[in-house]
Amino acid sequence: MRFILVDRILELVPGKAIRAEKLVAADEDYFSDHFPGFPVVPGVLQIEMMAQAAGKCLDAEDPARGKAMLARIVSASFRGWVKPGSTCRIFAEVKSSRPKFATVEACIEVEGSRVSDAELFFTFIPLQQFAPGYRDEVLESFLSGRP
Amino acid sequence: MNQTEALAWIADLFEVLPQKIQPDTKREAIPAWDSLGVLTLMAALDEQFGILPTEEEMQSMQSVQDILNVLNKNGTID
Repeated sequence: MRFILVDRILELVPGKAIRAEKLVAADEDYFSDHFPGFPVVPGVLQIEMMAQAAGKCLDAEDPARGKAMLARIVSASFRGWVKPGSTCRIFAEVKSSRPKFATVEACIEVEGSRVSDAELFFTFIPLQQFAPGYRDEVLESFLSGRP
Repeated sequence: MNQTEALAWIADLFEVLPQKIQPDTKREAIPAWDSLGVLTLMAALDEQFGILPTEEEMQSMQSVQDILNVLNKNGTID
């Protein structure tokens, strides 16, 4: 299973806000277990969608600071079911962004209705920690203007 | 805020019972005051009181009294 939970960025103001999208495939493996006869996207994956989108917003602000990593879920609420085949619109707004940490408020909407929201806390990991040549293809694709 | 309110704020931040937080409580007695806790404290001081200590100042804090001193120094405690 790949763990890329943002398909594409729709709008990005580095270090300030991001709007992104994830289409949940109808045949994701986890639907067979979560839950039989009642398939819904797990809340933890919704958190990860928000964290990945917010991380791209922070990474675009100052790549030299390191890669933004989710360090703490300050709060999270799940307000609606996300069914197979849904298109998740992911929004994140950076509340504070400092050299060592950042805080973000994020939410997901499906068909115009909010299904989850969270307040997330990020720290930054030096890029040297990652595999040589590691790149964020989704972010790079947006920044280069490619579809 | 007064000192009692400041102690309650610190307890809430580190998710411990208020009665477990006193000025002489040491950092090692607060499980959540680890490396992530330092950043959490730093963010809370910044966002709630506009206080932005240096990383060195943050690392040198070893007791609740040290946090109270920072709040005092910045006029946050009456």
